[in-house]
Amino acid sequence: MSPRRRISRSRRGGFDVRLPPDERALLAALPGQLEGVLDGLGDGSSTPPEALRRLFPVAYARDGEAEAAYSALVRQELLEHRREALAVLAQTAATSHLDDEEAAAWLGALNDLRLVLGTALEVSEEPPEIAPDDPRYGDWVCYSYLSFIQGELVDALDGSLPPPTPGADDEVPDDPWGELPGGLRWDGTMRPGQP
Amino acid sequence: MAGSAGTSPGTTIEREASTDTLDVAERPWLVVVWNDPINLMTYVTYVLQKLFGYSREKATKLMLDVHHKGRAVVASGPRERAENDVSRLHRCGLWATLEQPE
Repeated sequence: MSPRRRISRSRRGGFDVRLPPDERALLAALPGQLEGVLDGLGDGSSTPPEALRRLFPVAYARDGEAEAAYSALVRQELLEHRREALAVLAQTAATSHLDDEEAAAWLGALNDLRLVLGTALEVSEEPPEIAPDDPRYGDWVCYSYLSFIQGELVDALDGSLPPPTPGADDEVPDDPWGELPGGLRWDGTMRPGQP
Repeated sequence: MAGSAGTSPGTTIEREASTDTLDVAERPWLVVVWNDPINLMTYVTYVLQKLFGYSREKATKLMLDVHHKGRAVVASGPRERAENDVSRLHRCGLWATLEQPE
């Protein structure tokens, strides 16, 4: 492993974390900000605000009744899962070693933070042009940093995956809709700018 | 349906209707992952390996389908299992839906 990597697999199991103090301070502070927003959701029974929609994705895009039943079933559990991961990230931001469970929580929390920041920044396929005097610049720097650190963590975790399940690859069905120009979005509409 | 054994067979229309219902219920549901500009490509590949036990090659191919075609079918099965797969993908923050093709 390159010594420049901030997160890498540890010889003693788990993962070694080498981060400068300012990065640790950021990782300790960000989860609380998102937890504060999640607190506003109460018990999770109400519809999440637009900014949090990526944390509670739609399962049935074309069936409102089935979707209501699904979200009633999973939303609370999803909320608890996200809260727990954020709490682990905040509590372990100063550590130099993560066990496997903590690393999984980091991965989830980093991704959730990116989903919320990326939604607020309206991140698209093209990198946004946000100048240093833009009020969103701070969020953009955070988002870019989180992308970098999550990428390092994914690389480290990727090396500790168990071997593939025999036969699993062959069970993936063919796509019955075939090739589509530019592809559809989750709600069945075409992606903008595509033929 | 439970409790139907021993009753009279009913009309042709009723039998055909119940056959159709069975067909719809038995048709597999597809788990579809949709493209989004936030999730990292390496993250999506990792999640597909971790959740479904796919090889890196297969997971990478599915991720690239998501990226280039806008979506990929990543699993299928009875509704309950497909819904469970979707909820596991939602835990990971992926944009996944269940679809039952016509």
